Amino acid sequence: MALPVLDYEHENTQAFIHEVMSRSEQNITACYQCRRCAAGCPVGEETGYVTPDRLIRMILLGDREQALSNKLVWKCVSCYTCGTRCPNEIQTAKIIETLKHMSKEEHLDPLLPKVAAFHKSFCTAANHLGRLNEIEFMGLYEIKNAFHDLIHFKFREIFKETMLQAKLGLRMTKKKRMHFGIQKVKHLSDLKRLLKKAKKRAADGV
Amino acid sequence: MEIAYYPGCTLHASSQIYDIQTKLVLGEMGINLNELEDWNCCGATSASKTDDFLSVAMPARNLGIADNSGLSELVIPCSACYSRMLVAQHRLASNHRLKDEINAELTKKVKGNIRIMSILEVLVPKAESGELAEKTTKQLKGLEPACYYGCLQTRFPYDVPVPDDVENPQGMEIVLKALGANPIDWSYKTDCCGASATVNDIDTALLLMSKIFKDAVARGANCFVTTCPMCQLNLDAYQEQMKQKYDIDQDMPVYFITELIGVAMDKSPEELQIDRHFVDTIGLLKELNLI
Repeated sequence: MALPVLDYEHENTQAFIHEVMSRSEQNITACYQCRRCAAGCPVGEETGYVTPDRLIRMILLGDREQALSNKLVWKCVSCYTCGTRCPNEIQTAKIIETLKHMSKEEHLDPLLPKVAAFHKSFCTAANHLGRLNEIEFMGLYEIKNAFHDLIHFKFREIFKETMLQAKLGLRMTKKKRMHFGIQKVKHLSDLKRLLKKAKKRAADGV
Repeated sequence: MEIAYYPGCTLHASSQIYDIQTKLVLGEMGINLNELEDWNCCGATSASKTDDFLSVAMPARNLGIADNSGLSELVIPCSACYSRMLVAQHRLASNHRLKDEINAELTKKVKGNIRIMSILEVLVPKAESGELAEKTTKQLKGLEPACYYGCLQTRFPYDVPVPDDVENPQGMEIVLKALGANPIDWSYKTDCCGASATVNDIDTALLLMSKIFKDAVARGANCFVTTCPMCQLNLDAYQEQMKQKYDIDQDMPVYFITELIGVAMDKSPEELQIDRHFVDTIGLLKELNLI
């Protein structure tokens, strides 16, 4: 019996490719798999078989499920080495950002919940007072983490993480690198309007 | 000479020393920094990973303030802020619909006329013209720094004009050579330190830092110099943990470039607040009779 080598659904694949291309503004069909991106990727050792070129291949083959949730999407450090070295000027890091947004819109569980919690907490804290207060940001992040661990019964993780960050906080305080004052923007109205617009755009799927 | 100045959140919090030193050192060179009025957070990498519109909208408010400041140049010492503001300016210039949509909500509209500069774009011409050396009284003899640029000083997700070589930048080397230091040639100057992974994915971050560290040590560097507060904090605060994990026993102080310029200008460690580091930064400078 012959095994199906490739499961390819033309229409769904086309739609997926178009969505990724238009949202990321990257011409992924130009990729000829030279793998310069893979050679330069600093997290390549940590992402298993998923390298930037293979991520592009996944999209081109219409493997939506894999493309939206894999180690590269969550381990990417946005260093932009792949895109800088690409002979066809494809910024895979922009594609990864798009895939992250899409996976969030589809309510998929992040493969690395801490990474998702980090960036979400950063934006929430930064837009609360207009400037980032590191204590507020890290507090939000740790609450999100603890909540995630709690519902997965990972009590030891909560303890470990809290101790780790408390230790860092203490060391930073000793070196006068911890800032205890609150910094904020005086006129927040512009930012609040922009934030509202961002939410509306996300809800409308723009 | 007056330049607009965007410190960003980090320079007003955990990397306050970079703000103090930047003002001190540039002030000594006759550059008056005019801080943008009521600036906001640039969104850093997190905004672009969370919401694409916000990643342009947050820096746009600052760009609007800068465009209406009456000044023609804006210096941004933090690499992340510099990168985000430059990218936002580029995207707003090339996408009029996006620009109109954002400008509609802004009190001070984006025009696109401010020239955004990293701290190196201010320092390099001064070093090349000899002006910097004139302002200094000490030669940084014996200092063999590994100039560490990280990601955001030369690599951008959009086609913005990059002021230095992408893979082998020389800006910091030019500045430090002008001060008598002997920067080493090495391979990891634009590699990633792990950025926020130190908080949310520590093993990945330690692996990346170990590669940077090992190459700098193998090439005979006696310290790191950087312009990025994130790289600085990571290499400094997580150095002990990384060394234990990867069995390395050499310590490497991690200086901001402004610190070393300050030393060459004969500013005291107290004025520069050099002691606010995790790995000892004073010992090496004393050993080399620089302070």
